[in-house]
Amino acid sequence: MSEPATLSLAQARAALERRELSAAELLQSCRRRIERWQPRLNAFVSTELRFPGTERGALGGIPLAHKDMFYRAGRVSNCGSRIRKGWMAGTTAAVLERLDAAGAADIGTLNMAEFAYGPTGHNEHWGDCCNPWKPEYITGGSSSGSGAAVAARLVFGALGSDTGGSIRVPAAACGVTGLKTTWGRVSRFGAMPLSHSLDTIGPLARSAEDCMLIFAAIAGHDDRDPITSRAPVQVDLGARALRVAVSSAWIERNAHPQVASAVLAAARFFAAREVEAPEFDLLSAHCLTVMQAEASAQHVQWMRERSQDYSSAVRVRLEAGYAIPAAQYLEVLRLRTMWLERFTATTLADADLYLCPAVPVPVPTREETGPRGGTEMPQRLAQVTRLTRWVNYLGVPALVLPCGFDSRGLPIGLQLVGRPFAESTLLAAGHRYQQETDWHERLPEPIVAS
Amino acid sequence: MKTLTSETIENLLAAQGVPLAAGRAERLAPGVNALNVADPLRDKLPFDVDPTTYLIAQERAR
Repeated sequence: MSEPATLSLAQARAALERRELSAAELLQSCRRRIERWQPRLNAFVSTELRFPGTERGALGGIPLAHKDMFYRAGRVSNCGSRIRKGWMAGTTAAVLERLDAAGAADIGTLNMAEFAYGPTGHNEHWGDCCNPWKPEYITGGSSSGSGAAVAARLVFGALGSDTGGSIRVPAAACGVTGLKTTWGRVSRFGAMPLSHSLDTIGPLARSAEDCMLIFAAIAGHDDRDPITSRAPVQVDLGARALRVAVSSAWIERNAHPQVASAVLAAARFFAAREVEAPEFDLLSAHCLTVMQAEASAQHVQWMRERSQDYSSAVRVRLEAGYAIPAAQYLEVLRLRTMWLERFTATTLADADLYLCPAVPVPVPTREETGPRGGTEMPQRLAQVTRLTRWVNYLGVPALVLPCGFDSRGLPIGLQLVGRPFAESTLLAAGHRYQQETDWHERLPEPIVAS
Repeated sequence: MKTLTSETIENLLAAQGVPLAAGRAERLAPGVNALNVADPLRDKLPFDVDPTTYLIAQERAR
């Protein structure tokens, strides 16, 4: 076996069970790749071994690394910021406790947008994270290091957080599979908060099957996070009848032709039936209202005392939140119930899943979405998250997986959106698609050449 | 509904003790006002719904 780190998590697990590989060999293989590719990608913040893993458990001996916002007692969590640089956590995140119990190794912390408040992967404090397919392009954010590290086969999977698209945009831009979980399915205890009504935690990995293995380990009720559901976690990738809905005309009108072509080909794979498009832009505005109001409240003390320590981009987003009237914020949260009911009763009336692009435009460059992006930069950023924020407002789960490549060789992401707690259905659909396609198995060119 | 002026935004932030650089309120105003969108469900919103009602809707919509 030439390079164990290029196996999928499921394959590595099987190889460990058959004793064809040892956990030490997997770790060494990942470490070799990290050493070689970290200077190019800047995916890791730290490569210290935070938990060695154990032989037993569903993820026994599998090397993972996570966004630098999941606390581990006695270890540093910088949260992508200058303000929390060197901050030592006093508790361990529930998700890390569960992965430890499942036997996974935790081999480092991954780059992220400052305080998870940015959709591109830029970070002026810790350096931009670069896309393994082409370093001049964005990784997507805010789980930028998670997307890049999984795509470059530096780890078998990574945790990210998703408040407005922060798992799904990096998954799409880096060509990996990412699961945004239902709000309340995975405990947020010990994870850095951004917007408590929207924050979710989920895996990025090489396939839906790999995401399922991590999801099964982290999901479920936790007394320390009062919004977590007590409903049992069920995961089953087995074949089932899947009814998929799509809004082809909206995609053809609004998405870039290359994105539309790849996504509509996936819609044909699922024999998707046509439905009217949800109110993406309205729901996205509601998501922003909630996110900005809550994030600004979360950061108010630091904004009063040391606002100069934020990057300009994050500071502007936080400043905007203090101008949102409380009654407007609360009305949008009251409306959330009705919009969820409308989505499940109309868009999903005769379907299990809704299919759309993850990002309706080709992956942009770091330059055109960064501080020197010019007057069109805000519009470019809005396009990047146009089809992810509405999902956070509804609080429903979504799976993003690669469904093609554009003419520049950058990945295109497909998004499947389900009912609350329908993660198993999403993963089964993704698994079925990935059994018939090989987009998720393709490696970035420079990595292949290594 | 009326839009927020840059002066109002400046005052709102000052009232909360958040410093704002000169000229920044003008830059914030378009984005803040763009969030105050017309919602077709607003007129149908029942009086008794509050943000926690969402958790019940979530279980019902499974």
